[in-house]
Amino acid sequence: MRTVIENRRTRRTALTAAALLLATALSGCGISIPTDPEGTLEKVTGGELRIGASPDRGLVDVDAATPTGPLADLADEFAATLDASPEWTIGSEETLVGMLEAGDLDLVVGGFTEKTPWIDKAGITRGYSGIPGTDGRKIVMLVPLGENAFLSDLERFLDKEVGS
Amino acid sequence: MTSAHPTYHQYGRTDLPPEQQRALKSAVRWEIFTICYTSVTIAVVALVVGNSQAMRTAWIEDMLSLTPQIAFLVALIFVRRRPTRTHPYGLHRAMGVGHLVAGVALLVIGANLAVESVIGLIAGEHPTIGTVRLFGQTIWLGWLMVAVMVVVVVGPVFIYGPAKARLAPVLHNKLLYADADMAKADWQTNVASIVGVLGIGMGAWWLDGAAAIFISLGIVWDGWRNTKGAVLDLMDQRATTYDDKNAHPLAGRIVQELREQSWVADAAVRVRDLGQVFQVEAFVVPARGRVKVADVDAASSMIAELDWKVQDVVVIPVSELPAEADDGVI
Repeated sequence: MRTVIENRRTRRTALTAAALLLATALSGCGISIPTDPEGTLEKVTGGELRIGASPDRGLVDVDAATPTGPLADLADEFAATLDASPEWTIGSEETLVGMLEAGDLDLVVGGFTEKTPWIDKAGITRGYSGIPGTDGRKIVMLVPLGENAFLSDLERFLDKEVGS
Repeated sequence: MTSAHPTYHQYGRTDLPPEQQRALKSAVRWEIFTICYTSVTIAVVALVVGNSQAMRTAWIEDMLSLTPQIAFLVALIFVRRRPTRTHPYGLHRAMGVGHLVAGVALLVIGANLAVESVIGLIAGEHPTIGTVRLFGQTIWLGWLMVAVMVVVVVGPVFIYGPAKARLAPVLHNKLLYADADMAKADWQTNVASIVGVLGIGMGAWWLDGAAAIFISLGIVWDGWRNTKGAVLDLMDQRATTYDDKNAHPLAGRIVQELREQSWVADAAVRVRDLGQVFQVEAFVVPARGRVKVADVDAASSMIAELDWKVQDVVVIPVSELPAEADDGVI
């Protein structure tokens, strides 16, 4: 009986210690949840946002010096919220996703919808139908896999701009 | 003959004494409750499962955890059938078959999930979890995952797990016991998936895969234990207690009671578990090399009255006890 109580007490102490340790570790590292394993959000903020653009008439137009259209404008505005200067790369979907995987891009925009086949190679945002020119399609943007703070920040921005 | 002995046992008996009947009814209710509860859990977790391998593994485990309940309810239909010419021992083994099916399902899918998690971990897949919009607020989906996993653990660990663990020994039902045992250990799965999700949240992406491996190894272990137990019983291992930990004490008691009969020089038994009930073959060496049929009948009735589980009894007079029969010496 005594050992049972002692065991229980030890376990409770251990749990409390673990919780305290976790809390200390978290505050010590200044970690906020979610955070990026590769630190994308931190790197981009106040720096440059490397955006890939896959041309799609009415959403991303590439006739001008930098891409225009509703999606390109959204990406520019997002960069502005992070005090980042947008750095555009124009290419095919496969090229852009490859660059995203290699860590050469932070964000890819184009006519991607919720049904995009790139789901295994890129993190995708929720679908947004409130963007002009989508014809009811739910448009997503692509980010590097697992960069959850960056993804969450982007989704928060999109919710505010074009969310329902 | 049955009219002469009102308590005379039946071969392949299918009815139960009042206490067991009550326990069985209660067990059926708990199994149905569990199926409903687990179905809701599966539906709710499906909403938040996202890209976390740990969550996915926990979700599949929830689905798998339905197999023992379904196996139990299906087996019960057969177990209740009376013995016939074609099935002279009754259909009690249906419970063992159900046990085996549940065990193999856990083993195979658990192994599959473990391999999947290891591959994901080696490939360095960074799980992506974004946000959801809830009541006009954008919140990280990971928090919802954690909340769901905390809430759904209540059922197996605090409600139906302990309830079934109380009923299993009363019914001597190993499938029910295994089911209860897994339910009570379910908190480990939930804690692991929470650790995985928080790991993702903190940027430790590998914690998710590690948690998934932990969960799937738990499934494999459950599968192995159940498969082993079911196979051993189906292969007529001597009857054990409901938790497979010890030889069942009834064998020793039967031998003891037989030896106390004046006409018995020595006795030994073979007892096998048909699933919930036993089948007993009692070997007796008669003291003077002769037996009265009435004595044999009385002995088998005496055994049947020892416990509700031992109604299928044959008493066999022999000149020498078989070496492999249980002589009650531990």
